[in-house]
Amino acid sequence: MKKRELNRSANDFDKMLTVSPNPHIKSSETTTSLMLCVIIALAPATVWGVYQFGLRALMIILVSIVSCVASEALSSLIFKLKFSITDLSAVVTGLLLGLNLPVSVPLWMPAVGGVFAIVIVKQLFGGIGKNFLNPALCARVFLFSWAHEMTFFTAPKTALPLFSSEIDAVSTATPLASLNEGLLPSTPILDLFIGKQPGCIGEISAMLLLAGGLFLIIRKVISIRIPLAFIGTVFALTYLFPLGDQDVHFAVASVFSGALFLGAFFMATDYTTSPCTPIGQIIYGVGCGALTVLIRYFGGYPEGVSFAILIMNLFVWFIDKFTKPKPFGFVKPEKPKKAEGGEAK
Amino acid sequence: MSLTFIGGIHPRENKNAKNKPIEMLPPPKTIRLQMSQHIGVHCTPTVSVGDHVYKYQCIGRITAGLGVPVHSSVSGTVTEITKSVTPDNVEKQTVVIDNDGLNTPDPSVCGYDGPLSGLSPEQIIDIVREAGISGMGGATFPSYAKINSAAGKVSRLIINCCECEPYICANYRLMIEDPDAVINGAKLLMKALGLRRCDIAIEDNKKEAIKLFTKKLAGNPMFTVRMMKTKYPQGDERQLIYAIYNIMIPQGKLPADVGCVIFNTETTAAVYRAVALGIPLCERIVTVDGDCVKEPKNILCPIGAPLSDLVDFCGGLVKTPKKIIFGGPMMGQAQWDIHAPVSKGTSAALLLSSAQTTEYEHRSACIRCGKCVSVCPMHLMPTYLASFSRTYNFDMCEKFGVMSCVECGSCTYVCPGSVPIVQLIRSAKVRIKENRAKKS
Repeated sequence: MKKRELNRSANDFDKMLTVSPNPHIKSSETTTSLMLCVIIALAPATVWGVYQFGLRALMIILVSIVSCVASEALSSLIFKLKFSITDLSAVVTGLLLGLNLPVSVPLWMPAVGGVFAIVIVKQLFGGIGKNFLNPALCARVFLFSWAHEMTFFTAPKTALPLFSSEIDAVSTATPLASLNEGLLPSTPILDLFIGKQPGCIGEISAMLLLAGGLFLIIRKVISIRIPLAFIGTVFALTYLFPLGDQDVHFAVASVFSGALFLGAFFMATDYTTSPCTPIGQIIYGVGCGALTVLIRYFGGYPEGVSFAILIMNLFVWFIDKFTKPKPFGFVKPEKPKKAEGGEAK
Repeated sequence: MSLTFIGGIHPRENKNAKNKPIEMLPPPKTIRLQMSQHIGVHCTPTVSVGDHVYKYQCIGRITAGLGVPVHSSVSGTVTEITKSVTPDNVEKQTVVIDNDGLNTPDPSVCGYDGPLSGLSPEQIIDIVREAGISGMGGATFPSYAKINSAAGKVSRLIINCCECEPYICANYRLMIEDPDAVINGAKLLMKALGLRRCDIAIEDNKKEAIKLFTKKLAGNPMFTVRMMKTKYPQGDERQLIYAIYNIMIPQGKLPADVGCVIFNTETTAAVYRAVALGIPLCERIVTVDGDCVKEPKNILCPIGAPLSDLVDFCGGLVKTPKKIIFGGPMMGQAQWDIHAPVSKGTSAALLLSSAQTTEYEHRSACIRCGKCVSVCPMHLMPTYLASFSRTYNFDMCEKFGVMSCVECGSCTYVCPGSVPIVQLIRSAKVRIKENRAKKS
């Protein structure tokens, strides 16, 4: 009786059995879970930015996220791409874009930036994983078309209106501006580290960004190679070749100011636009660091992290190709002359 | 310190039957013996419908070429000789035998009388061939041919007790419950190969087996017990040799080319039983596991027994399976029939519901996270191989070393984008081989 029962049920599910090639199991990690980790890692720096710059900062971040998600939804419908809102990558792009803007920008700017990041940089190239530039950074650089708004930094704790774009505040020089003149900034180094400095919403607190970055490294979302090589190079170059007559304080202040920590832990490590070989990641990190210092020293704009990362993005394929690991048991292919002349024919 | 290789993954072990002793399967009503349970030429049945067969009687033979005979695992009557198609689209002749329940052994079966050390290598190889022994870990390469090709060439013998796939614990139970069969089998293999040394490689999640073997082999200069790190694919021959001796097998070469030969635990025990007791290979240990069976078990079952009998013996189904797998979840083969017969290479039968197994999305996207690159035990770049294969760019596939891939599936396991990487690599390999064949 029991046997017959099994047989009957067997006939039922037999038709529904999946016969597919191995492997039959998969780790529980998905694109969504990785993106969620990034959002969690960015949360402390985001909260700190909102605490320092007020609710307007939150407003900018929200506009940016909504703009990214909406343009992803619309464009994937129009371009007939996979509907990919649920993988949270658009949320990460939006969050990063918002964190990379000064608090005083008018609210239409994150909206325009979000559309540019998602539609132009990402979806037009085929959607997630196909873009060759970091969408958030590209959008930020695009927004430099409005240079005045993008370089207008207010001191933390300045009262700003929530919606209006009429900002009634004074622009402050960022610590980087004075560093690039060969002077130590007026902000003490500890304040730079904790995050009491003018700058973009999410970039000010090296400490909280470091905490988020370490979380990602511990969760094995990113490897330590790119951030370490990036920050290490910036430190080494600013220590060896300081501007003016500065000592090690100059190098320390250079590392803690500007967008370096945000860039090194969260933007340069973007999977799609960074190399995937271990040696390649180190080369890429060193390249980012060197370009950052070059642009900071000699460029027209005090900060160079975004440009450096975007330039290195373009080299990813070549870095990957030339640092391709040697396959297990690799044997050098014989020269075709010898092989064919010897035995083959 | 555990020995290991570079890369690899550590999936959840799920060895639910680890502490379940091996149990005998109640005699099945009918058995279905496939005429090809090994790599090589298919056997031709030597019996016809209506014949009475003894247990251990040879019922299928190879006329020429590489292959081993098939023996009946029960006594009874041949009722049918049919053809059945396996899920990998191979048509196999199958002999169906009705079990009379008497288990009358073939009168010609007898053990070897004298001391085992008196056997010559040729005699051992002969017995191994006649006993129908092929690799029982899953690859099913005829063992006599392996010994033949290795004899005189190799200096190192490894008994592979890694069992690195999740769920499976058949080898572990065998090591704990019958260590002498494994050790004596290894001695016979050493004799056949003309070696005086042997390494027994056990993963460090099998502490009891390591303890037992270390105790049993203490002071024996012929054996070394090697503790391996629990990692997939630790049992792969290339990785095993690299982990123990730090030798990389060159591309396209075999273990014998670097002086090594590897045998699976259960194969080793089968060699011992064939030589000492004269019993051919016609039963094996199968781990039945997965969230769909009531009670996971290790079952000693006659080869050819239908899976449904094994499932019944485990208390039946508690959930509807999505996949039925013969072998481990990483390398095993999905089945379409719950009555599929157990064969010589079936180390496990897994019945997994949709919660424990995955289906690959049709429109999956690589995010280039590089996790596949860091886990690849062959040090390849699976992400590029997959995308080149997707665009039919086989030249680039070859440049990126696609032919080195051992298809362990680690890349596909870790991929957060659910890209069917190893499947794409396989299709590229097939195309490249076809193109090469056309050219020459």
